[in-house]
Amino acid sequence: MDRKLKEMLFFSAFRGCALLVVLSLVVLMWYIATGGLERLSWDFLTEMPRRANTEGGILPAIVGTFYLMLIVLAVSVPIGVMSAIYLVEYEQSSWMGRVFKLAVYNLAGVPSIVYGLLGLGIFVAFLGFGFSLMSAGLTLSIMTLPLMISAAREAIAAVPQSVREASLALGATKWQTIWHHVLPYALPGIFTGIILSVSRAAGETAPLMLTGVAMSLQRLPDGFFDSFMALPYHIFYMATQSSNLLATRPIQYATALVLLLLVLGMNLVAIVMRKRYRDRYKW
Amino acid sequence: MTTTIHTEDLNVYFERNHALIDVTMDIQNNQVTAVIGPSGCGKSTFIRCINRMNDLIPGCVVKGKVLVDGEDVNDDKVDVVDVRRRIGMVFQKPNPFPKSIYENVAYAPRLHGVTEVVDGKVRRRKHTKKELDEIVERSLRRAALWEEVKDRLDKSGMSLSGGQQQRLCIARTLSIDPEIILFDEPCSALDPIATSKIEDLLVDLKKDYTVIIVTHSMQQAARISDRTAFFYLGKMIEMGDTKQIFERPQMELTEQYITGRMG
Repeated sequence: MDRKLKEMLFFSAFRGCALLVVLSLVVLMWYIATGGLERLSWDFLTEMPRRANTEGGILPAIVGTFYLMLIVLAVSVPIGVMSAIYLVEYEQSSWMGRVFKLAVYNLAGVPSIVYGLLGLGIFVAFLGFGFSLMSAGLTLSIMTLPLMISAAREAIAAVPQSVREASLALGATKWQTIWHHVLPYALPGIFTGIILSVSRAAGETAPLMLTGVAMSLQRLPDGFFDSFMALPYHIFYMATQSSNLLATRPIQYATALVLLLLVLGMNLVAIVMRKRYRDRYKW
Repeated sequence: MTTTIHTEDLNVYFERNHALIDVTMDIQNNQVTAVIGPSGCGKSTFIRCINRMNDLIPGCVVKGKVLVDGEDVNDDKVDVVDVRRRIGMVFQKPNPFPKSIYENVAYAPRLHGVTEVVDGKVRRRKHTKKELDEIVERSLRRAALWEEVKDRLDKSGMSLSGGQQQRLCIARTLSIDPEIILFDEPCSALDPIATSKIEDLLVDLKKDYTVIIVTHSMQQAARISDRTAFFYLGKMIEMGDTKQIFERPQMELTEQYITGRMG
């Protein structure tokens, strides 16, 4: 084949694939938005569901998902970042480090429903947290931990060794080197990990079903040990279990739209913070 | 001349690899000592023993003595942080922090603070802004960089040219006034003009500091050093006055290396 033609062909193929990704997002957004916009209103966001979810709003589901994201943020981020530091800075090539890495990879491959069972066994039953936000949030935290660790590990490992050497050679301790240099320079990458983890947790449905999500509540959870509603489960419930599937279709779309906006909004905040940190240090 | 550094039967192993074999040598105060030899001969490993940078390499074992002012740096009682504060190091590739020029130089003084004796008690406090400003200016002047950067101290250290970056790294090292400065092939990533600036600086620095430089350039060793040590396959083959090493080497291997028949 002609070289130029080949060049054109491959370039087009690459660009086509990249465009396909963008297109998927656009179609998805358009599809959800056209279906959901008509039902979306201030009342929809701020009212309790009524008549077995066929009327009223989805406030408890929004609040529930928001709390879940909060728990994941509070649990998964510090544990993930700290174990990533341990892995890169202290056990890079040791026996312990290899075992740890293997554990993380395998944890990442465990299906989410299995995490749900784990949460049911440990948090709901054994630790006695019951069917609650806490049980579900901790389950989601464990589930997203491998994602968080991998992202943080990559970001920390990407800080050049020469910077560590420079700091240590000036008489900084290992901890000072990590705190003053490694972590600040790795922060943009860590933010990427936070985006991925929290978004993943926000959209997860299966583990919630085993750890305390409710079909319908006319009130907000009164604390972390109360049961709750969540957006993804609300969609699942409306689309499969509702007594009147057709009537609730606009609610399904609108709920999906809210979930998407919530996740995209979170991502936007993280992206802005990532940019701020990236600009602070000029490589 | 007084001896600053004395090593005795220094051996270094990386896993199975015996990288440094029975190195015994003396390094004098206020001189430039050059360490030369072909790649992989152990010259970098040697100077990294002096400020214990080899500690960072997993599987590295150091045996033997490295006495600095009579004290073994590997002694359990010795604080490695203190060793590295007293023995500065400049690396092969310029490695400024991705922060401002000012922050690069002010980092180490901030880290260590000021130790002073008040009413017979040793106290540590932070530097005042004025003290830090003075340290930054003095260090940058000493590294012959002040005139080039004094108007843009808030710009990133990464925005400088390679030679300037290396002088910034030297200023950063000087900021805590070490006694000894180790240079690990500091010019290998620089062009000839930048190299000659660093060389002038090194010769000037020996008035106040003990300078040890690892170099793969024999010309550089001949130009700037007072004494030269030749390493080959992990052993220190010969050490002497630079003039003697280059004009009348005692060992066959040294002669082969400096005449370019080996390495």
